Amino acid sequence: MTTLHLLSHSPVGDDRFDSCLRLLGSRDGVLLTGDATYALRGDSLPARELAALPKGFPLFALDEDLHARGLSAPAHCTVVDYPGFVELCGRFDKVNGWL
Amino acid sequence: MAKSMLLVCRQSPWSGSGAREALDIALAGGAFDLPVSLLFLDDGVLQLATAQQAAAVQQKDLSANLRALPMFGVDELYVDQRSLDARGLSAEALDLPVTPLDDAALRTLLDRFDLLVTL
Amino acid sequence: MKFAIALFAPPHAPSSRRALRFAEAALAGGHQIVRLFFYQDGVHNASTNPVTPQDELDLPAAWRELVERHSLDAVVCIAAALRRGVLDEGEAQRYQRSASVAAPWELSGLGQLHEAAQLADRLVCFGGP
Repeated sequence: MTTLHLLSHSPVGDDRFDSCLRLLGSRDGVLLTGDATYALRGDSLPARELAALPKGFPLFALDEDLHARGLSAPAHCTVVDYPGFVELCGRFDKVNGWL
Repeated sequence: MAKSMLLVCRQSPWSGSGAREALDIALAGGAFDLPVSLLFLDDGVLQLATAQQAAAVQQKDLSANLRALPMFGVDELYVDQRSLDARGLSAEALDLPVTPLDDAALRTLLDRFDLLVTL
Repeated sequence: MKFAIALFAPPHAPSSRRALRFAEAALAGGHQIVRLFFYQDGVHNASTNPVTPQDELDLPAAWRELVERHSLDAVVCIAAALRRGVLDEGEAQRYQRSASVAAPWELSGLGQLHEAAQLADRLVCFGGP
């Protein structure tokens, strides 16, 4: 069963980002929200880890959290709004929020 | 058929009520005869360490709740081997019989449940 | 699609607002919310006690408005709520405290979270920052 993983903690100084990437299934997806969107920042270590995911990996980020932080998404990341977030939940079999 | 739930426990037993309240979800599921299993991940593996003395900081002993899990029908208990290694814990010397899994086995585990709740 | 939405974070956490916006978007998209379940610090979102500065979003009020407008099934975990001083009239009398939660919210047990997860097509949990 496919899983959409929701991350909202900063990817630096927290285990969630690393554990999530380590345990990703081959058909899973990741939605970055809140401070997890910092994982898309420029030449950061988390950004390099995300860029190293297999080509076509379903990577998403919530638009308002990017905008709030002055970030923009790279080409391999799809930006979604709330209706898009809702739609994503249906596209995967289950949703795993890393609280 | 009832949906299965994997509860992923990531919190140390000393981080407030989080670890206990996560276990309560498992116990409640078990009480309703729902298929609930547990995975201890990251600092959550510290819940399984031996010789902890909750009374030293005026806390209730979490291990009593952990030991109650099988009585509630929650008997599939897993632990992340890498989280154990990082914290100097051995799967053979834990407070509870749990199954250690490597990354590949964990991916298979997470895949097979209908519901994932990570606290 | 039928959603169960669980919230674990207090009103001042960004994830509470995210959960609210998600719930609004789900309803606007024609989806159904079978239950809102507030657990851990999420119980504070059901309290009438938080006083929000006038120029900030009042999350507990926004939740209440959403629940009432859509007649949502909204449950607050009773054990988590008691521990955090979020009591309805009955519990307030029992423990000789002040009540801070009332209809449309209902205090009930964790079984309600499991039931919602069983009934829904998707369980979506919000918490943390």
